[in-house]
Amino acid sequence: MGLTPAAARTLCDRILDLVAADSATVHISAADDQHVRFANNDISSSALIDQLELTLTVGYGRRSATVATTATDERALMRLVDQAQALAKLAPEDPEHMPPVKPARFAEAIAWSDRTANAAPEDAVGWLRPVIERARAAGVDTAGYLTRSVGGSTLANSSGLFVQQRSTSVGFSLTARTPAGRGSGWASTQVTDIRDLDLAAVGEQAIGKALASRNPVARAPGRTTVVLEAAAVRDLVCWLLWRLERRPFDEGRSFLNRLVEQGSDPLGAALFGNSATLLSDPLDPAAPCATHADGLPLTRTPWIENGRLKSLAVGRYWARKQGLPPQPTPGNLLMPGDGKSLDELVGMVDDGILITRIWYLRELEPETLLVTGLTRDGTFAIQQGRLAGPVQNFRFNESPLNILRRIVASGIPCRVLGSESDFPAHVPPLVVADFNLSSISDAS
Amino acid sequence: MQRRDWFKHVSVAGLALAAGRWQVTTARAAGIADVFSSLADSALGKATALGASFADLHVMQSDSESLFVREEMVQGVRADSTLGCSVRVLVNGAWGFAASTDLSVAGVVRLAESAVAIARAQAGWRGQPVEIETLPAHSARWEQPVDVDPFTVPLEEKVERLLAISGAARVAGADFCTVGLQQVRERKWLANSFGSRIEQTRIRVAPTFTATVTDPKTGRFASRDSLAPPRGAGWEHPRDWDFIAEATLAVEQAREKMAAPSVTPGRKDLVIAPSNLWLTIHETVGHPTELDRALGYEANFAGTSFCTPDKLDRLQYGSELVTIRADRTASQGLATTAFDDDGVETAGKEFPIIERGVFRNFQTALGQAALIGRAGSNACAYADGFAAFPLQRMPNISLQPGPDPAVTVADLIAGVDDGIYIEGNGSWSIDQQRYNFQFTGTVFHRITGGRLDGMLRDVAYQGNSVDFWNACDGLGGAAACELRGAFHCGKGQPPQAAPVSHAAVPARFRGVNVLNTAAEAGGRAGAAGGACNGGSLRRWA
Repeated sequence: MGLTPAAARTLCDRILDLVAADSATVHISAADDQHVRFANNDISSSALIDQLELTLTVGYGRRSATVATTATDERALMRLVDQAQALAKLAPEDPEHMPPVKPARFAEAIAWSDRTANAAPEDAVGWLRPVIERARAAGVDTAGYLTRSVGGSTLANSSGLFVQQRSTSVGFSLTARTPAGRGSGWASTQVTDIRDLDLAAVGEQAIGKALASRNPVARAPGRTTVVLEAAAVRDLVCWLLWRLERRPFDEGRSFLNRLVEQGSDPLGAALFGNSATLLSDPLDPAAPCATHADGLPLTRTPWIENGRLKSLAVGRYWARKQGLPPQPTPGNLLMPGDGKSLDELVGMVDDGILITRIWYLRELEPETLLVTGLTRDGTFAIQQGRLAGPVQNFRFNESPLNILRRIVASGIPCRVLGSESDFPAHVPPLVVADFNLSSISDAS
Repeated sequence: MQRRDWFKHVSVAGLALAAGRWQVTTARAAGIADVFSSLADSALGKATALGASFADLHVMQSDSESLFVREEMVQGVRADSTLGCSVRVLVNGAWGFAASTDLSVAGVVRLAESAVAIARAQAGWRGQPVEIETLPAHSARWEQPVDVDPFTVPLEEKVERLLAISGAARVAGADFCTVGLQQVRERKWLANSFGSRIEQTRIRVAPTFTATVTDPKTGRFASRDSLAPPRGAGWEHPRDWDFIAEATLAVEQAREKMAAPSVTPGRKDLVIAPSNLWLTIHETVGHPTELDRALGYEANFAGTSFCTPDKLDRLQYGSELVTIRADRTASQGLATTAFDDDGVETAGKEFPIIERGVFRNFQTALGQAALIGRAGSNACAYADGFAAFPLQRMPNISLQPGPDPAVTVADLIAGVDDGIYIEGNGSWSIDQQRYNFQFTGTVFHRITGGRLDGMLRDVAYQGNSVDFWNACDGLGGAAACELRGAFHCGKGQPPQAAPVSHAAVPARFRGVNVLNTAAEAGGRAGAAGGACNGGSLRRWA
């Protein structure tokens, strides 16, 4: 990483020493990142990025301001502190301002690998060679992205809190397309330790889907039973997970408000199907993450358990106002499964669709959590428990709430990247009834 | 605390210090200008000595300030300043790139070495070499003209403005109101091995607000966002936009929206205001005509395009009324600049994308135009930070006014018997080849017999990009043209955000598919275990 742990500590101490305000919080984010993109079976850009960002929030009573910079020399630090203090003095009082968090004990994060941190950048470029050469041999065009991040995050404040955590991550995704027949397939992986990295398997999966999805036929849209692969599940379920919040509900502007009677609390209510369970746990090796969020410990938290709502995220101010303990937003998503193979899930469907990836998920209606999106990179008909050939892509309009109410069966959880997010998630494929495919997309 | 009360707590010295806070970054920029030439000579000299056939050095300082008001509370006062540099090299037909915050001569030399090494790592198994055109050398300095540099405006004046907007919404009956202001200044220094040395400064602002009303009895709620666009402008833009009147109107419209009748789905005629249409232009014309997408370079994330090179000069993209042009020179344009991030001059590079309905041009960056047999880049490269590899990004892309300069939005509405007039943006989504889009809006007005007839809710319009533009049969005149745009258009891996403007006139489209989003949701959030009306399970678990 761009800054050693000792240097980050020294930097935090120095800044806190310079601050004359009532309170101060310093956050340092530093990373050595490598990004390799490829397209048309050749590397299109290869980048090494050494970045650091230093953020300081200072407060005078209920006035506060935040200033961020990339500079760390002594003059820059003095400037940073001066600017933050000047701005904070000018800021109006915020009745919801909260003092810095108190020191706490944090579990040691497990999202670090020396092997990943020490891999030579040139070697990482070389990892792609067999994948791209395999694609060339298979006669498909591939485009993809390999990113290796080696970073550290340090948080310190004037209340005595100091926490430092390091993380490594490698993400890889690949799209394979056939020159003829409009076939397309996508696959991904995300690991902490490069020992677990299997780029070839990802490549084979994407190429296999591309070849299998050639010459798709149109199938009428409508509500139908679908098998959602894990990549689709994570995008839809995360949409709901991030909206499990106390304050919007209390203020009457959450999707939860329409699910309970006025004056009733949603916690404990059976709002979802019996088989819906969502957890977060920073120490689960399947998808580890930091063990704190802005200085609040992250621990294993059930959000939905067997269909009942178990937790809502609560910010520090709202928690104090409502007399509740604060609950940080989750740092990862874990969703247990039934352990069925994808073939077994497909085997349960008499007439339906296998959706392998979704795209461009956007909110249509916050009251019902209705979202729209599209299938892409391999969509297949299911007939009598077997895959029955590729079909054209669909636009869907569906609520993740309904998805968690209509789970029929689930498979083996796995860690995959999202279409627009690398939030750590370990989720199973699902069979979902009555999924609203609203129109056909000509994209392939 | 009332909005004026806090001023009296602020000392004169404090005001002076805060007002001068951005002078520090200006001074830092001046320092870079002093040393840039030696940094460039060192970095480019090292890169070429190590075998690079092309190299460039980018130094970028990005200053931003964001303010956030929630109801009567100022909850976010934040200033960010990033400064760093990158070296991009082309070695044996392979790109290499390295970036850091170390702006020393030794630092940029190390970047050149790293970039060359990472490019050479592809040796022995590369397929097609990257080839680029030779660019003219420029020595230039350019600053975006603004009336009032927002970084010189006292914080208290901005906070006062934001609190006044929230106050107006609350007086009008908003249960909640958030107001935000973002201002960005990009300073870029570019040197390349063709001999260019360019310094540029761009400024932009994005004022926003959202007013929300709730009905605790039903659990319903509705929001109405401001229709104010972001601009490549200074403080004059948020200062002069009539937010106070708009905040009051927004609350009225949010209430009306919550109680409005739900739309009957089906084919309808639409009149679309520039405040909504700009995003439709962006998604259905802007992104599909990016050449890197069309050639597969974004296939893994943003996608490819239905608009392939074989369709140039052949595809009837829209009706004869439709002409859409690209530029990086428009006044207050968010993509406006004198040189793109490859060092290509933008003046004289304006071009039609659609001309009288026919597809004419792709957007290109360095090394792309020759791939489709066209002469050099049309100046569409952009990098969103010092650590960002330059990509082909959208210029300002604008729908040209109709032939009759006197046509107003009312004239377009008068030509609709049963339809909808749509203002503002809501949700947007489009497939990875840009065929199937679905958009909502902020406010939907029913049109009956050529007149507005109250509001509707639950509206989304969905279609195919080419069919949609071919269904255009009416355009407003030049007087109805408005400059709209996006502060953060996403593309690339890792994702980069680019600012871009779209000028548009109101336009009329015939027979567009309109959906009812409440019906799409399956009624009231759906019932547990809802029955399938299509598809079935072989056996339930």
